[in-house]
Amino acid sequence: MTRYAIGRVLAGVIVLWVVATLTFALLRFLPGGPFDKERSLPPEIMRNLERRYALDGTLLEQYGDYLARLARGDLGPSYKYVGRDVADILRDAVPVSLELGAAAFALAVAGGISLGLAAGARRDSLVDRSVALGSLVGVSAPSFVIGAGLILVFGLGLQWLPAGLWEGPLYAVLPACTLAALPMAYAAQLTRAQVVAVMEQDYVRTARALGVAEARVRRRHVLRNALLAVMTYFGPLLAILLTGSFVVERIFAVPGMGRFFVTAVTNRDYPLVLGVTLVYGALVVLANLAVDLLYAWLDPRIRVGNTEK
Amino acid sequence: MALRGVSVALAALLALACVRGAERAPARELRINLETEPPTLDWNLATDGVSIIAIEQLMRGLTRLDSELRPAPDLAESWEVSADGRTYTFRLRPGVLWSDGVPLSAQHFVDSWQRLLAPATAAEYAYFLFGVKNARAYNAGKLDDFGAVGVHAPDAATLVVELDAPLVYFPALVNFMVTFPLRRDLVERFGERWTDPGKLVSLGPFVLDEWRHEYRLVLRANDRYWAGRPPLDRITAYMVQEGSTALVLWEQGLLDLVKIPALEIRRYANRPEYLRQPLLRGYYYGFNTKKPPFDDARVRRAFALAIDRAQFPELLRGGEQPWPSWIPPGMPHANADLGLRFDPERARALLREAGVDPTRLAPVRIVYNSDQTHKLVAEKVQSFWRDNLGVRVELENREWKVFLKELQTDPPPVFRLGWGADFPDPDNFMNLFTSYSENNHTGWVNPHYDELVQRAAREPDPGERQRLYDQAQRILVEEDVPMVPLFVTAQNFAVRPRVHGFRPTAMDLYFFEQVSAE
Repeated sequence: MTRYAIGRVLAGVIVLWVVATLTFALLRFLPGGPFDKERSLPPEIMRNLERRYALDGTLLEQYGDYLARLARGDLGPSYKYVGRDVADILRDAVPVSLELGAAAFALAVAGGISLGLAAGARRDSLVDRSVALGSLVGVSAPSFVIGAGLILVFGLGLQWLPAGLWEGPLYAVLPACTLAALPMAYAAQLTRAQVVAVMEQDYVRTARALGVAEARVRRRHVLRNALLAVMTYFGPLLAILLTGSFVVERIFAVPGMGRFFVTAVTNRDYPLVLGVTLVYGALVVLANLAVDLLYAWLDPRIRVGNTEK
Repeated sequence: MALRGVSVALAALLALACVRGAERAPARELRINLETEPPTLDWNLATDGVSIIAIEQLMRGLTRLDSELRPAPDLAESWEVSADGRTYTFRLRPGVLWSDGVPLSAQHFVDSWQRLLAPATAAEYAYFLFGVKNARAYNAGKLDDFGAVGVHAPDAATLVVELDAPLVYFPALVNFMVTFPLRRDLVERFGERWTDPGKLVSLGPFVLDEWRHEYRLVLRANDRYWAGRPPLDRITAYMVQEGSTALVLWEQGLLDLVKIPALEIRRYANRPEYLRQPLLRGYYYGFNTKKPPFDDARVRRAFALAIDRAQFPELLRGGEQPWPSWIPPGMPHANADLGLRFDPERARALLREAGVDPTRLAPVRIVYNSDQTHKLVAEKVQSFWRDNLGVRVELENREWKVFLKELQTDPPPVFRLGWGADFPDPDNFMNLFTSYSENNHTGWVNPHYDELVQRAAREPDPGERQRLYDQAQRILVEEDVPMVPLFVTAQNFAVRPRVHGFRPTAMDLYFFEQVSAE
């Protein structure tokens, strides 16, 4: 198990190196640089800027510099925000995205699983149909539509909740719901499908035939087995939610890191693009690792398979 | 069970919401929307419209523009210019203190200008001072001794500036933020972090209190401000990027002052909280004059004559004003009588004269940066040219930086751009289309035009200046027509009734010194 974990971590480091290299190369293929603006600069000023940010070397030199810095844990300066390092920017923005993302994740997981379970356990009932309809809306409506709808109803109409800003838990309600809508709907659909499939398994029938209480059958035999497939979805989902969403942060004026996935690229702020990409990559790697370990815990067959090796 | 939990939670939220409602609209505080994070508060390095909003509240310069956009005394109490127009002597206002109590000295200007021009600073707007003697050579690293650059402080109250050639608008130039004085001691002590709250020392009506990046900036009244403490205690500037969200927050009473997104202007235009400010900002279409068919001035004139500018205000609804010449209305020496007006007959005749058969002409490409407004304008121009000239027109949009790169390397046949005034002098606009301007993407070169613009920059007599600029504008927008001015733009605000004294300027600058909030 330990060897397995170490191997996975090493693989993760290699994945991050590939991500960094690809991002670095792709960025330089993009036409336009960080200092191209509506007002063109005189050549001597452009040269001063390129010297200051060490953009005057060859691409290979710049790549070497970047990797050397990265190895020391230095993500470099932002080209757009004068005097701020990428690490400073991430230090401010990441906690906000983590808070919002964790709230949305909890909402999506708890809501998605309970709705899916309720629907799957009573197939074709009114509950099942309502969940099917609701999750269809959640999966297909883009977050800006859901966000705008929530603002319209709870912000402008009822005046219950602020339409934006980030001043406390109250301010997180609308963005968290918007962010959770799609994964909750998707998790509900997935869970329902799994529950329906598991309910038809022989061991469920056997348990029932042996007189095990229905609640216990559902908890111990149905839910646990149905969750296995749903779990694989939660790993990447956690990474996606924790790194923020450009759309949701923009609609609700939340100061998270999601915005940088877009603005850093439009600004050609190379170090910042690389910074957010690496954070995202690291989270995906970690979340997948966590899911694999959870998997082993949930499914004894995987553990047995490993110990036999 | 679950349902009960939800209803309890909602009731709690509702109670909280009511509590929040009671504490809204704090007296003597103004809550505005900056839209985005200011890239920097370092006034030597700032270049953008967001940073300048904050910096203008924190700092002051030698001069300041009055309501007619003429330079008026600010930190300089008075100034005189030598007979040859090359030397300006500024006398500083006595008794001005920085917010940490240090008196303002002329050396603070010298230090600031040295830092602005130093190659290692890599300030993008260093070129604002390129008119100062030897400044350009110092910035390019060709001159190491700053003593040879034309700015000196013979005593603490006097600043002497020598120019390479006379620049009649120089006093207007030194109202711009990059020329503001600077505390070298603090920059050396704190390095790049000198603009952090608690470190930044300023001398304007407000000081920096809090800076929560990507979220809000809080300024507080400066007790040491030389003209007296402002009526506001606090300005909280949020960074709400989405215009419609900002507008809802304004409706909810969480913001006092917001810009109205273009689509919403019609709904707000008749409300008492609505405020419109025309800007010194022109919107134009440029031609690539190096390639056919636009290498022929007659063709360019024909395409300009086929545009009916009067239709743009109805189309865009943001307070745009059709304007056929280049110096915008409200700027000195603007002239409403110049420029080509809509005349499809003459346009077709000119095309014939140039030997262009519209049916055989390859489709004309208009390229613009991706944006709803630019798209609407391009579609309109496409229909003008198709209907009035019978030519085929193709539209292409590009991401902003891709578009800029294309303009610099291989300009499209027709492109859109805008220009906003940095300082309210026609030179700022007319200089754009000289052969030596980095911002002239048309490839057009006219030595006579260059010479007229250079002479006008040196000309102290307003009547003669008018004549020179009229002549240059005639070449630009009536004869050679490397570009077609379409309209000037405006800014649209929603202002809460509790806010008094908010007067934006045509330069898109805001001064909250005179503003009060109940």
